[in-house]
Amino acid sequence: MNFYDFHIHSEFSEGESSVEDIAKRAKLLGFKGICIVEYFKNLNRMKNLRKTILEISKKIGIDIFIGFEAKTLVDLKKLVGMRKEYDVLLVSGHDLNLNRKAVQTKEVDVLTHPEFNRKDSGLNHVMARLAAKNHVAIEINFREILQSSKNTRSHILHNMTENVRLCKKFKAPVMISSGASSHWQLKDPKILISMGCLLGLELNEAKGALSDIPEGIIKMIKEREGKDWIRPGVKIVE
Amino acid sequence: MKKLKTLLPSLREKKRYISFQIISEKGEEFTYSDLESAVWNTTLDFLGEYGVSRTSVWLLKDCWNQKTQKGILRCNHKSVQEVIASLGLIDRLGDNRITFKVLKISGTIKSIKKDL
Repeated sequence: MNFYDFHIHSEFSEGESSVEDIAKRAKLLGFKGICIVEYFKNLNRMKNLRKTILEISKKIGIDIFIGFEAKTLVDLKKLVGMRKEYDVLLVSGHDLNLNRKAVQTKEVDVLTHPEFNRKDSGLNHVMARLAAKNHVAIEINFREILQSSKNTRSHILHNMTENVRLCKKFKAPVMISSGASSHWQLKDPKILISMGCLLGLELNEAKGALSDIPEGIIKMIKEREGKDWIRPGVKIVE
Repeated sequence: MKKLKTLLPSLREKKRYISFQIISEKGEEFTYSDLESAVWNTTLDFLGEYGVSRTSVWLLKDCWNQKTQKGILRCNHKSVQEVIASLGLIDRLGDNRITFKVLKISGTIKSIKKDL
């Protein structure tokens, strides 16, 4: 089974580690591919990042994708406008309006940590249904659990369990990722699967959250790279 | 003290063995006691006293290899996921940053020792 981690920050954005260190560690832990995530403010560095990624990807033998994470509604709108230029579009969840907009937008691939810095889970039945309809994966972010402790961690775990329950009910895709900002925060796929199981996923669902859901996104990336693609659901047919 | 009579195989708790490797920053060699305290503290923090009692978790002392930094954890068959998830929450041993790599999960110690 091929496993992917689709939420890693390198030194290009808020992370500490170089892309090479991250790729080496991911390969060691048994990942088939990773996605290096950037913020909209660093858009001008995309050419450099793509060049670095291509070199490292060939050298180490791991698939590396470029993702952009929108933190505001304005960022999201701009990133949707230039969707063909990068691989994965993530939305940093925390604000209810942004969470809602993310699950409504077909161009979005992943809604990351919808419960971040919130008392509630940041996702309701309407949003879960929309996420299922538009194939927006809801992320379980391991770093959130790792960096919290005691009562904060228990609140986060509760909110994540709630989100998983809703996603299962409405058949919305769930994705598990490390959310690492350093190669030391990358986790073994078996550890991420186990955490998924503790949060209410069945074993095969948890494996799918690391394998099938990212593979679905990769399939979309390849479709988007084709000349015929215009926007989700629209392509030129001869 | 008089020893208890051994339970019948069908009455014994079903065990699982988890082999793992520690990847450290500068190739430090951690001792069994370093690791034991980290595993106990993290599992107790994450699962609580009651939760840990349900897992029957145990770090096997004679299977810890200080050179290769590989070891074996034992738990019951119902709590493999809890124990592995807890291992993921150990990101430091002392001042050193570490990562756990889970190598294999097995029902017998014989088969898991082959790969160590």
